[in-house]
Amino acid sequence: MDTIPILQLDDFLLISIQVEMHDRLALQLQDELTERVVKTKAKGVLIDISSVETVDSFMGRMLGNIALMTQLLGAETVVAGIRPAVAITIVELGLSLPNVRTALNVNSGMAMLRQLAGTSVGGNGHERQPE
Amino acid sequence: MKLPIINIQIRYEQDIVYVRQRARLIAEMLGFSRTDQIRISTAVSEIARNTYQYGGGGRAEFVVQGDNLPQIFAIFFRDQGPGIADAEKILQGNFSSRTGLKCGLVGARQLMDYFHLETGSGKGTSVFLGKTIPFDKGLITSRLILQLIDALEQSAKQEPLEEIRLQNQELMQALTELRKKQEDLARINTELEDTNRGVVALYHELDEKAAQLTQANNLRASFLSHMSHEFRTPLNSIVTLSAILLNKMDGDLTLEQEKQVNFIHKAADELSGMVSDLLDLAKIDAGKLTLERKEVSIVNLFSSLRGMFKPMLDGKTLGLFFAEPEGLPLLYTDEGKLAQILRNFISNALKFTEAGEIRVSARLSKSKRSVIFAVADTGIGIAEEDQSRIFDPYTQLDNAPKTAFRGTGLGLSICKKLGNLLGGTVSVKSSLGKGSTFYAFIPVRSPDSARTPLVPAENLNFTRPYPVLVIDPDQATHALYNEYLGHTDYYMMSARSIKAGREFLMQIKPLAIILDVLFPEEDSWSFLLELKTDPATRHIPVIIASMLPEQNRALSLDMEDYCSKPLSRQWLLNKLRTLRQRVPVKTILIVDDQEVDRYILKGLLADEKYRILETASGLEALQLAEARQPDVIFMDLIRSEICGLEVLHKLKENAATRHIPVIINTSKILDPAERQALNAKVVAILSKNTDSGAILIKNIQATLEKAMQALDKR
Repeated sequence: MDTIPILQLDDFLLISIQVEMHDRLALQLQDELTERVVKTKAKGVLIDISSVETVDSFMGRMLGNIALMTQLLGAETVVAGIRPAVAITIVELGLSLPNVRTALNVNSGMAMLRQLAGTSVGGNGHERQPE
Repeated sequence: MKLPIINIQIRYEQDIVYVRQRARLIAEMLGFSRTDQIRISTAVSEIARNTYQYGGGGRAEFVVQGDNLPQIFAIFFRDQGPGIADAEKILQGNFSSRTGLKCGLVGARQLMDYFHLETGSGKGTSVFLGKTIPFDKGLITSRLILQLIDALEQSAKQEPLEEIRLQNQELMQALTELRKKQEDLARINTELEDTNRGVVALYHELDEKAAQLTQANNLRASFLSHMSHEFRTPLNSIVTLSAILLNKMDGDLTLEQEKQVNFIHKAADELSGMVSDLLDLAKIDAGKLTLERKEVSIVNLFSSLRGMFKPMLDGKTLGLFFAEPEGLPLLYTDEGKLAQILRNFISNALKFTEAGEIRVSARLSKSKRSVIFAVADTGIGIAEEDQSRIFDPYTQLDNAPKTAFRGTGLGLSICKKLGNLLGGTVSVKSSLGKGSTFYAFIPVRSPDSARTPLVPAENLNFTRPYPVLVIDPDQATHALYNEYLGHTDYYMMSARSIKAGREFLMQIKPLAIILDVLFPEEDSWSFLLELKTDPATRHIPVIIASMLPEQNRALSLDMEDYCSKPLSRQWLLNKLRTLRQRVPVKTILIVDDQEVDRYILKGLLADEKYRILETASGLEALQLAEARQPDVIFMDLIRSEICGLEVLHKLKENAATRHIPVIINTSKILDPAERQALNAKVVAILSKNTDSGAILIKNIQATLEKAMQALDKR
């Protein structure tokens, strides 16, 4: 069974989706992620979908749900690395991702998260490139 | 024209991913731009999910449509689900799904060039997605499609995950089938268990039924043996008493009275016969009848039948003939039951024959394995259609003249059953108005054991009641004595050696022994001494017939007489007569709780010079026996405060009464075991159930004489 690894980076959780996303895997990710947020008291979540080619309505909804849920748990979610073709498709599909912040790549995504986390930005001086 | 590429089943969630991957791959091969590839795979993903989630699974068919440019890459989805109820609304965009779940359809339409949806409640759903294939690759031909399919297969093989997916699917399918089979098995198992429970319950019921049946059978058996006693006792009283009246033992009857008593006698006789028939049939049915096989001489059988039916022919214009049986072997069978069959046949023939004759014959069958008895009459005959049922119980034919032939209708059915019991069959040949012939096929059968008794047990030979034992080595002497004693009241038992003589003496007490003292190998004198010292034989008179002049020695040994050979007939008969007549006044004790039976017995014994003591009580009987020392005791197997068997036991235990001969006179039907136990202790067993009073009187007198003979010699 595929699993998607969830990495901890300071106060943030980093997820990079490298496998073909199917529905059960998406739901599983959603469960694991929320648990990890609670456990690690993470301030932000970064989801890298640069390898994902298909974002359909289910996937879109899942991303939206994750963002909403982590917000409720006190963590902001940023989705980074959406491909141009995927972006086109998302728009044409009529998907809107109201709660989801997006960033061009992981770097800017992390920056966004740090900024959102406010006081803790650079607080402990452990900035790293996740890739 | 449609060029089919691939046809994929959507059954599991992973299939959605697979379908969308195939869609992207095919789109790529068909020359779609990267963006279009993602559009197509996204749209396919949407519809495939719908097919899986709402349609419960279905198929996705990938084809290339169109003979000319522009061609279309088309994907058809079909499912057999419940259909989409508000498809129109969804497509018009008016539909707002709170979950956003159904926006997939709209999105897919927007992503593709062509979209068509067919759905209806209960009809399933089919969706057509189409996108125009870019021209730059030129016309897609079927050859190109084949290449494409090849490439697809290659790519599938290169992906181990895909391989696993396919295997997985097969496995899942196999598992599903297995589960179904298991369910079937489980169901069958349950059914079997139910059936089993039913069978067990049935067995239980059967067991119960069997127990009930056994109980019912036991009840029936005890009922029968009880009835045989209770019914017969009063009937026998009536028969015997009326016989006494008719014998005018207590004075003459008026003519009218005699007629009336005769009717009473006849009616009681008839009733007694019916009761016997019923009991016989019941006993046969219950398997209670046991065979007592012994050697049976047909000549003797015929002669006793002849004697029995003789009185019944009086006043009839009817002849009863017994063909002299010739060259027939001895039968080894139950004489009583064979006689009963023939008796029934003959009395039947007598009933239905007004005039003419009845012929009884016997001959050997062709196979020589059985003897065929035939009773032919010239009576009214039996119609063909009735012949099959006359052997059934309670069958009486309508054409029988009403009043004359009453009966239970059991006679022939008893014959049939008895015949079967003896290992044979019975049958009938008849034509209406001309007469009937009844047959009994009885197997000859050799005796199972070689040992046959020299003198049949309980054989009270009425015509020659006085046995005379001749012990002599010389055959000529035996022949001579036999001639002497022919046609007299004596019958001779021949022993050619002292050893044979001893064997006879174990079984019977002769009136006299005629002994030749000159035995070559044995010492006759020591045998004589033995005879005279043994209390059992001491009283038997011994006549020495010898050529040796040993008279003095003989008489000194308390011999009855001595005679030098050859004896004359006159001398022998005279001698025997004096021995016979040596009957002094005797005391007889009658023990019977039935007053009427005591009365009958007393009546029968009244002519003789007997002193009669009587009692109904067993205890009193014991006292009387000891105090009065009767010469003979007649005893019923009474059921007073002390039972008959116990009385008998006590009599034989007491030294003062042990020697008194006891005669059992009972109406109880004794089984062979009881009979044997009694035989050891008593002189004779008489049945109160004997057919006629005349036979009863004869029986009693004969037995009494037998007992007296034993007494005389003391």
